[in-house]
Amino acid sequence: MTAPDPMTVPFTPPAPSTPPGPAPAPSPPALSCRGLGKRYGDVHAVQDVGFDVAPGEAYGLLGPNGAGKTTTISMLVGLLRPDSGHVRVCGVDLAADPMRAKARIGYVPQEIALYPELTGRENLRFFGRLFGLPRRELAGRIEEVLDLVGLMGRADSRVKTYSGGMKRRINIGTALLHRPDVLILDEPTVGVDPQSRKAILDGVEHLVGEGMSLLYTSHYMEEVERVCDRVAIIDHGRIIAEGTRRELIALVGSADKVELSLDGDVETALAKLRAVEGVIEAAMTGATSIRLLTEGGRHLLPALITAVDGCATVTATQVIEPDLEATFLHLTGSTLRD
Amino acid sequence: MWRALAAVGALELRTRLRDGTALVIALIVPVTLATLFSVALGGDDPPLRATVGFVDLDGGEFPASVRREVVGSQELKGSVTLRDLPGREEARRALDADEVGAAIVFPAGFSRSVGEGRGGDVAVLTSPESPLAGVVARAIVDRISALVDARTLAVRAVLKAGVPGDEVKEMVERNGAAGPSPALEDDPLSGGKVDLSVHYGSGMAALFAFFVVGASFRGLLTERKLGTLDRMRAGPLAVWVPFAGKAAVGFALALVSVCVTWAASVLVSGATWGDPPAVFVVLLAHVLAAAAITMLVTSRVKTDAQADGVIMVVSFVMAFLGGSLVPMHSLPGVLQAAALLTPNGWTSTALTELAGSGAGLAAVAGPVAVLCAITTVAGGLAVLGMKKGTLL
Repeated sequence: MTAPDPMTVPFTPPAPSTPPGPAPAPSPPALSCRGLGKRYGDVHAVQDVGFDVAPGEAYGLLGPNGAGKTTTISMLVGLLRPDSGHVRVCGVDLAADPMRAKARIGYVPQEIALYPELTGRENLRFFGRLFGLPRRELAGRIEEVLDLVGLMGRADSRVKTYSGGMKRRINIGTALLHRPDVLILDEPTVGVDPQSRKAILDGVEHLVGEGMSLLYTSHYMEEVERVCDRVAIIDHGRIIAEGTRRELIALVGSADKVELSLDGDVETALAKLRAVEGVIEAAMTGATSIRLLTEGGRHLLPALITAVDGCATVTATQVIEPDLEATFLHLTGSTLRD
Repeated sequence: MWRALAAVGALELRTRLRDGTALVIALIVPVTLATLFSVALGGDDPPLRATVGFVDLDGGEFPASVRREVVGSQELKGSVTLRDLPGREEARRALDADEVGAAIVFPAGFSRSVGEGRGGDVAVLTSPESPLAGVVARAIVDRISALVDARTLAVRAVLKAGVPGDEVKEMVERNGAAGPSPALEDDPLSGGKVDLSVHYGSGMAALFAFFVVGASFRGLLTERKLGTLDRMRAGPLAVWVPFAGKAAVGFALALVSVCVTWAASVLVSGATWGDPPAVFVVLLAHVLAAAAITMLVTSRVKTDAQADGVIMVVSFVMAFLGGSLVPMHSLPGVLQAAALLTPNGWTSTALTELAGSGAGLAAVAGPVAVLCAITTVAGGLAVLGMKKGTLL
């Protein structure tokens, strides 16, 4: 499969929905960027990146290593000054009023950005003070966050003694201290065990469920599929497709693969299967197996089994629906873990 | 914003106390070294003694009056001994053999030359083995030079006015140009005391100021490596807060370090560094310059380990060239000139002036201005580099 020219992939940032009749002015996106660009010498790290994250929405930025995810995030949180474009956080222009805009963001960097010699509680206290939490409120908020990330029992141990998963959790908790409107997670599960990964994803889903907006970057397809309402696929510094999971999968067509295992006259069965409405293509893949390319594969199964009745018996079936991995492969010509 | 600044500063101070750099590098080591050097090489017990060779090839009134003044001086009594030597070569040999610490050579015809308005040169031979004698000899010759200059000018003026040659001397002295009698009103040994006791204290203070303030800027690179710097910069605070919080603590610790070393040196050796407000201003200017230079180093390296190495090299080179380790007068001429390229050189010059002359701030305005200029240039370059390296 060859990658299509990214420029030819239709992508338009979503237009805000317009409810019928007079209504209060819609609240601005929790996070919005337009035309973001950054170059290092001749290398365009990020080009013309733009998207909106609605209040309470979980938005995924999916792309392989080096695609420009971290550079984009660095511009979104004010660590890098973009060469072009602008960022708004809850309607506040990041360049014009960085303090107010940054106060609405909770940024979780890819690495564990904490002081290993300090305890979890001391780290939270330091960043809480730094982010302007009133002294009276800070102690209570630290307890809340420790409870939220499940580290109440280890709060007074030095961070350097934490496991990888615990470090990740306190890393996220630090970004939640000042109750941000938007949580930006840059590859939050890199290098953690499955149990901690599950805990992190559960926690993130809980936050989104409570109304927090989320920008989630990862090169783990299954995480993005699980957590995010909408996804942008970024490659070579450009967003090449954006939409809901279903919309993105539709970009590669709706054909499903159906694998059938049969006993009996397989060749006759093949001929009968080709005649079934909805079957696009059929081929023998072994002495007792046939692969079909169909539209609506799962719903077609009863018809397929009926069609071979009399000449063969279906002993096993497998329906393979297209997923984001296939979409990504289709759009970029490479796998996510390249 | 001040709360965020205080939070960064408090964490930096806590880190410096916890890792020992605040106590060990800022206080214990410089004070200990300064004390050891002062006890070993400085102080008044045993009393300072110097033998100065005296070569009189002139035989005139100038050398005779100098001899009278030195021998009769109460300040020099028991400390400085004049030893007559027949010629320059003998003086050099005596110097090499450590029989004298310095020598003053009056060339033949010196008094007549001065009397005729043509001026004259008195040579001073010194040895790095005996800086005290060198300081005394130079102090004496400085007085002679001033007299010779005044006398020469007066004689020329009188001759130009048409006064006959045999009346010039009487005319000049009657009109206020002093005769050939250098008045050693101040204690020429005070310069010797500067070099031997104050020198090492101020040298250690100047050297360790670099290490102490440099550790805070190096900490910025550590924070960048940890990712905590980015986390701070992504938060709702001004981008200069992390830098300013750490810099303020580093600067304060360095200032405390130099002041404590100063106080310890005075207490141990009993020697004064000079006018306290002026000394404080010089030390303040030195710490500022050290901060700017270590900041510049930090802005040009990539890792904290690199910063450690480069700051150490820069600090020792500045200390050596600038007279913090070896007295400047003991360095070859080229290195003495190079000292003026270092903040340590200007700090040493200023502190020597204050300790030696008892002068106030006005006397060291020049060195302080140079230190401020070094701070401005190095600091400006550092800020540009730090912005580029996302440290600021």
